[in-house]
Amino acid sequence: MAASTAANPAKTKPHMSQMALQEQRWGRLFVAAPFIGFCLFSAFPIVFAFVASLSNWTGTNSILNNFIGFKNYAELLTDARFWKTMGTTVIYMIGIPIGMVLGLLIATAMNRKIPGVKILRTMYYVPVISSLVAVAILWAWVFNYDYGLFNIIIKAISGGKGPNWLGDETWVKVAMIIFMTWKGLGTSIILYLSGLQNIPRDYYEAATIDGANGWQAFRNITIPLVSPVTFYLLITGIIGGFQVFVEVSVMVSNGGTNYSAATVVYYLWDKAFKSQQMGYGSAMAFILAIIIFIVTAINFYGQDKWVKTID
Amino acid sequence: MKTSRSLKRIVCLFLGAVLALGCLSACGSGGGSKTLKVFLYMNDHEQEVYTAMIDKFKEEHKDEIDDIDFQITTQDQYNTTLTGMMTANDLPDVFYVGPAAVKSYVDNGYVADLTPLLQEAGISTDDLPQNTLNFYKYDGTSIGSGELYALPKDASTFAYAYNKDVFDKAGVPYPDPEKPYTYEEFVDVCQKLTMDTDQDGEIDQWGASFADLYMFQQYVYSNGAGFLDETNRTVTIDTPEFKEALEKYFDLTFKYGVTPTYEQDVALGPYQRWIAGQTGFYAAGTWDVASFMDPNTFPYNWDLCYYPTLSTGVSYTWNGTVGFCISATSEKKDIALELINYLSTDPEGQKQLSGMDGSSSVQVPNLQSLQDDFKAAVADGTVTYPSNVDVIFNYINGSDVAVGRMQESDYTPNNEWISMFWEGMTAYRSGSYASIDDFVNDLKPKMQESLDKAWETADAGTNAG
Repeated sequence: MAASTAANPAKTKPHMSQMALQEQRWGRLFVAAPFIGFCLFSAFPIVFAFVASLSNWTGTNSILNNFIGFKNYAELLTDARFWKTMGTTVIYMIGIPIGMVLGLLIATAMNRKIPGVKILRTMYYVPVISSLVAVAILWAWVFNYDYGLFNIIIKAISGGKGPNWLGDETWVKVAMIIFMTWKGLGTSIILYLSGLQNIPRDYYEAATIDGANGWQAFRNITIPLVSPVTFYLLITGIIGGFQVFVEVSVMVSNGGTNYSAATVVYYLWDKAFKSQQMGYGSAMAFILAIIIFIVTAINFYGQDKWVKTID
Repeated sequence: MKTSRSLKRIVCLFLGAVLALGCLSACGSGGGSKTLKVFLYMNDHEQEVYTAMIDKFKEEHKDEIDDIDFQITTQDQYNTTLTGMMTANDLPDVFYVGPAAVKSYVDNGYVADLTPLLQEAGISTDDLPQNTLNFYKYDGTSIGSGELYALPKDASTFAYAYNKDVFDKAGVPYPDPEKPYTYEEFVDVCQKLTMDTDQDGEIDQWGASFADLYMFQQYVYSNGAGFLDETNRTVTIDTPEFKEALEKYFDLTFKYGVTPTYEQDVALGPYQRWIAGQTGFYAAGTWDVASFMDPNTFPYNWDLCYYPTLSTGVSYTWNGTVGFCISATSEKKDIALELINYLSTDPEGQKQLSGMDGSSSVQVPNLQSLQDDFKAAVADGTVTYPSNVDVIFNYINGSDVAVGRMQESDYTPNNEWISMFWEGMTAYRSGSYASIDDFVNDLKPKMQESLDKAWETADAGTNAG
């Protein structure tokens, strides 16, 4: 009965009770709040950004008087810096699988009764709740060429000077990946931990009876059954990865040497606010939104092939 | 039915509340409220002085205004926030406009014409430096003449400074306060100051440190070159004079080794090395003086001097200015004008800002009639200021040995073209270019393309307007 009501609400409307009607009205009112919020804070800015992207808007001039059609989009396709920053953004995403693997391993280690496990869990989660700007400043010091912790350790071990982490075009990417992985590790651990605790013990017992060793159980039970968590982390990681900005803004100046550390969002901000090319920045934002949408859609489409649930 | 009525009642109440809130917020931004909104950027020392001045103004005008909503931000964040305010059509009553933005702000109707307001209020601008005032005049076509759209906050300059303690330790005589070094003399002095003070095998004190973005122009202008031609539409970084300036500037690091290397600059910036007493020379803008005179910030003895000269034999630097303007939509223009007059042209206000009343000095006085009094106050110690104060006035007013000029980017619609140059400088320092010719040949077309685009947009805006 419930299923048929859900499947064809129009047919059942005349038979709805007063209470059901009342509930429906209240429901609509409650739904209206987020809907209006979405219209005001998401839909309107999206439409506005699209209109702005078709103009030479500087932030101070008139959008309508400076309408240039799709010229900004055409320019973007041949803008070497756009592709360079897009490349850097994708390189930074190397940190996503690294973070997931580390997160799963640490969560597995912490998913057992060992003394002080709660303290460990808290410690790993501290970076997640810390201010991004504050920890980025701290890590900039950790990576400092002369006085940084990493280079002091490298010097103590090897006797030689460590890399110019934030000044070298290649090492800055390594530094950013390390920082972003560290910052996101706590989230991966907590989510994997909850995923691991949802796996019934019976599965492992059955596997042990069947002669499976620890690795086989981990590979054939743990990994598939935490795949919904992996999928969630992948999607949020990729979306967040395309939007990296603060790390670059705080840890290096002006996008780093030769713009080597700049991400696509940093370039967007640079163009829109520092060079007053709001129209061009809006076009970039729109392209970025489309790319994120496509990548997310591909992920959702492909999830059937590898995401398993306990049910 | 009953439910339907109560639902309608709730919806009506909700709409009523929204309407009431709307009315309230309209009153907040309209003529009902007597709160003056002021949005400026400034450093900590300026903030201290300006906050005191604004509090004093508020007290003296408590019959006319309820409050002054004084919002302060950093220079980096200022444009971003102001652009947001413009887009939202929610400009404060008083805010800053720089010379480069006057044309755009006027063309797009953001700022009020001050000329009739000043006339009506009987305020004279004759005692202000007229060359600075001209940056805020616009006749609808070009800057420099026509109606006045802002009162200058200050006429500032980016002078050179030296750490007396570093000179004393090295046994090197101080720079002549009246005669700039030649380039060769400067290199010689810097070589004497560059040393390994703790004998650990690594240089830890340098002759000078350089923030390219602010300290390379001096070499370009003193060598008779410029970034742009006189129309400010053509990039001229490939002239022999410009390339020679580049070579001499980079020689200080690569040939003579009297500055920190690129890697050392990344580890600790040039400003931080100056603050740490590791360099003999660094720059001191007029706005930096209060910080450098504060022993908590800079616990060393220091004074002002000139940048070294290149082929012209004249020391150059860049001057700057920013002006107070009033929003075109402000409904409190009269009181806003009183405030910016107090901050810009009022003698008492200028005494406070320049430190003549015992406050920290955050600028030299705007009023020309106060300049001699200011110098006398520096000489007798009333104003805490370095003794070679003439360096500042020579750069601001111009003299035989020192000239200050505005940067080309003050006349272009945006700064992207010059930002590319500064990024290129960093890349050159890091070894990304094989030679100065490579550097110039790579950057010039990119800078020109960006500049062309900026002018194209600006010209289209003017034509449309």
